[in-house]
Amino acid sequence: MLAVKGLTKRYPNFTLQNITFSLKPGRIMGLIGKNGAGKSTTLKSILNLVHPDAGTIQMFGKDFKQNEESCKQDIGVVLGGIDFYHHKKLADIAAVTKRFYQNWDDAAYQKYLKLFELDPQKKIKALSAGMKVKFMIALALSHHAKLFIFDEPTSGLDPVSRDDLLELFRELVKDGKRSILFSTHITSDLEKCADDITYIKDGKLLRSDEKSAFIKSFQHLREPGETKELTLEDIMVRTERRRYDV
Amino acid sequence: MFNLLMKELRLAAHPNLFIFTALGVLVIVPAYPYGMVFLFGCLAPFITFMYGRETNDIYYTALLPVKKSDVVKAKFMLVIVAQMTQFLITLPFAFLRIYLLPEGNPAGIEANIAFYGFGLITYAVFNYIFLTSFFKTAYKVGKAFLLAIVPATLIVLVMEVIVHFPGMEWLDSVEPDVMVKQLPIVVVGIIVYFISTFSGYRVSVKRFEQVDL
Repeated sequence: MLAVKGLTKRYPNFTLQNITFSLKPGRIMGLIGKNGAGKSTTLKSILNLVHPDAGTIQMFGKDFKQNEESCKQDIGVVLGGIDFYHHKKLADIAAVTKRFYQNWDDAAYQKYLKLFELDPQKKIKALSAGMKVKFMIALALSHHAKLFIFDEPTSGLDPVSRDDLLELFRELVKDGKRSILFSTHITSDLEKCADDITYIKDGKLLRSDEKSAFIKSFQHLREPGETKELTLEDIMVRTERRRYDV
Repeated sequence: MFNLLMKELRLAAHPNLFIFTALGVLVIVPAYPYGMVFLFGCLAPFITFMYGRETNDIYYTALLPVKKSDVVKAKFMLVIVAQMTQFLITLPFAFLRIYLLPEGNPAGIEANIAFYGFGLITYAVFNYIFLTSFFKTAYKVGKAFLLAIVPATLIVLVMEVIVHFPGMEWLDSVEPDVMVKQLPIVVVGIIVYFISTFSGYRVSVKRFEQVDL
């Protein structure tokens, strides 16, 4: 579905270095790391929104850069913290968006509006953060997207909306045809719904693996006498912990 | 291409764009510096681009299944369509005023052929500077506008003032045989507008390709 190889992006004060991972159909991959670790840069580089200095992106078996338009026909993207056209009605945004997709399915769109309880006559600004994400998902589902790329879709949501969204993510991949790559710093999201985990620290890839193998590989962080298996939160906190000598 | 233009008109354009475009009717005001019409035609894209930054329009377009250069194409199309529509709106009123207001415009240039020529040159200079500067970053709208509006205003000022100079009365005429003399100005305007659009587009695409969104 998606294969990222040697992705590198250099900024004056930050470098994303040699990121490599792959995502199989029917799976959810969580991209974790603390704020500023390079998660958004990774996702934006995959989408060619920022120019990587090195690396290749294979999407649906094709080189993304060479086939950008056709690849984008089959993906759905939600960038965290960026909402679009807040003074426009959902119906207006959908009417414009549908023109760009060959596989747009009006019946599916109507179905998802109902399913997600979205009123097409409402304006974007009237939607809660969770509903905005759901609207973008409804648009993506209506053109039969196979790969979903979400940048921090759950941040800023209350626990109920977060749970609701994660439940929806599981449903999306159930038939094994769709995949989700989503970045988060909320480890409980991953416990609940990720199949694979890719961990980025200070622009470098620490590990990308199936969830249980990932957790197992970090058990060396246990302190002497500790018998309980470390959770994802323990792993992240212990990996990132800094000592201040003040 | 039509889809991109629809997207611009339905989602990206600020309502103000339509109002300022309609201000082409100002050429029917008895005494008014008609060059203001073209400055409204420059101000309208500025406000729409500011609005676009607020609504994350560039991101939305870049995520659609289009090429990155299409984001630039969409903006060029919007600006050109708005300015040419404004031009068309002025035309019937420019004809009407010859009959309704035969005493002419005491404030500045008449709505004659020279006026349209100067207008095209104003648009051309503004568009080239504004759009190529904007696409260096895709967010610094204010700086791009400032750089572009100063020369555009100077052209309008020259147009409005020059007709008051002795010997330049022919530029202010609406007599058909005198207006023939003004034809070269409109021809230059058309050529400059074409050159500005095509070279401006090429430079903007190149610059926008380098931008990290």
